[in-house]
Amino acid sequence: MNADAATAAPATAPALLRRAGPLDTLLALVRRELWEHRALWIAPLAVEGLLALSLLFGRINMDLPEGMLAAPQRIAALTILQWALAQPVFLVTSIVAAFYLLDCLFAERKDRSILFWKSLPLSDGLTVASKFLVAAVVAPVGTLLLAAAADLLFTAILMIRVPGTLSWSTYEWLRTELVLLLEVILGVLWYAPVAAALLLFSAWIRRAPILWASLVPVVAPIVERVALGTHYIWDFERYRMNGIWHKLIAGPDLFGDWHHLPPVGVVLGRLNLGGAFSDADLWLGVAAAAAMLYAAARIRRYRDDS
Amino acid sequence: MTAVIEARGLAKSYGATRALDAVSFSVEPGRIVGLIGPNGAGKTTALKAILGLTSFDGELSVLGLDPRSQRDALMRDVCFIADVAVLPRWLKVAQALELVAHVHPRFDRSVAEGFLARTDIKRASRVGQLSKGMVTQLHLALILAIDARVLVLDEPTLGLDLLYRRQFYDTLLNDYFDKERTILITTHQVEEVEQLFTDVIFINHGRFALNSSVEELGARYQQLTVTGEQAARARELKPFYEREIFGRVAMFFEGRTAAELGPLGELRTPSIADLFVAKMQGVSAA
Repeated sequence: MNADAATAAPATAPALLRRAGPLDTLLALVRRELWEHRALWIAPLAVEGLLALSLLFGRINMDLPEGMLAAPQRIAALTILQWALAQPVFLVTSIVAAFYLLDCLFAERKDRSILFWKSLPLSDGLTVASKFLVAAVVAPVGTLLLAAAADLLFTAILMIRVPGTLSWSTYEWLRTELVLLLEVILGVLWYAPVAAALLLFSAWIRRAPILWASLVPVVAPIVERVALGTHYIWDFERYRMNGIWHKLIAGPDLFGDWHHLPPVGVVLGRLNLGGAFSDADLWLGVAAAAAMLYAAARIRRYRDDS
Repeated sequence: MTAVIEARGLAKSYGATRALDAVSFSVEPGRIVGLIGPNGAGKTTALKAILGLTSFDGELSVLGLDPRSQRDALMRDVCFIADVAVLPRWLKVAQALELVAHVHPRFDRSVAEGFLARTDIKRASRVGQLSKGMVTQLHLALILAIDARVLVLDEPTLGLDLLYRRQFYDTLLNDYFDKERTILITTHQVEEVEQLFTDVIFINHGRFALNSSVEELGARYQQLTVTGEQAARARELKPFYEREIFGRVAMFFEGRTAAELGPLGELRTPSIADLFVAKMQGVSAA
């Protein structure tokens, strides 16, 4: 039987087998996530669309003293707007990705479609990896690219509507994009354990994972405070929310000591990048994320309540 | 030929309930096995064990692989339809074809397209917009286009009307089944599919009440229909179950010959459905 199958396979199926490497499968799974969870790309597009509309039709009040916007300041203004206008879409993508991570492994059990996915040769590890990849790589990188493209549009709108406030500088624009890219990379690494924990909740909680995921971080510090009078959990949660950003901007004062408004790119020389990327807690978090992803895959593999 | 599925002492408990009570069986290639039993008899548990969807005790090998530790490899050669309603509702028909083509090395898209061409299913429709019968047609088109060696169907036609059910089994038998493949089916609607089976397994309370090929059934079991005066004589031959139909009594025997029973009344091989009822009722009466 085995020998038969082995000899028959090359004659009938080489064209089919060629297409199904692990990378190809992973890409197919990523596309499948974007088919199912359309909010992942509709929400960021909507944010940028709304921003464009408000820049086009909203009231813009640039109450700047005459003469302040010399050429260097106009470039600085370009990059500061570029940075600031990118923040809303990153915030929205983070929120949408969090809900996505909480929902994805729960929803497939709820509608029992997990039985269809499990009838295909898709390992639990690959499936969980594809979902994490969507939230931790595809969505942030996609948002970064979207924000960059949208900023070109925003800049064009502003240059037309309020002439004389912004000046184009390809070099400074790229430097600001580099700052945003570093933020994205550091953010993905720092929040990886949060993302993995959400996936773990999604695989694990029997009903209402969203409720559990929002209650536990709120109730646990309160219980600790009431029962023990301490606040370790609360401190830990706060640290996990913003700790890395404090490290990144530690060192010489980033924003002070300027006679004029500097372009965003100058922070590249002042950010504590070495300290942030070599931070032990950052990589401990990444290791914890890997462990939680493994646990999520194990739970998906062995639970049979569907 | 080596067995496709080989189980020894296969057992599974949910708390105090023994869903599978140390059953042993083997399935040869090229068979269509009907796994028949009342609700909660352990059918689905047995299938889940074979598909690596649940943990179990005992030994089980499917295509020489252990479903617990080698599930990922196993799923390249084993396919299943767990229920009609498990295709995700958001999935478009065209997306389904593309997706399975990308992730399954043994999927032949042109075969699936061929099946779909016989239906009214549109490529742009989402699963959620299709009728239940159409969802089944789509699922079947996807699964039958996979060149798998074992196909497992757990109540594949539950909730479908007669036309779709008939079409489902016709397609399965005419366009898919061959001597290399093995099909395992559980169903409640035994009457409709009993011509399909080459083997039947009756399961009740986690144990096998019967495990036989259909050819052997004829030699092993007899159904005798007798009228009043012959009934007492027939009863001496110890039927394991009897039932009255319009004043005549149908008696079910195991291991009797035509010479013994023939003179007493109308003798025939019981249908699988009748035999199932006889076996289940007979066991609970005993």
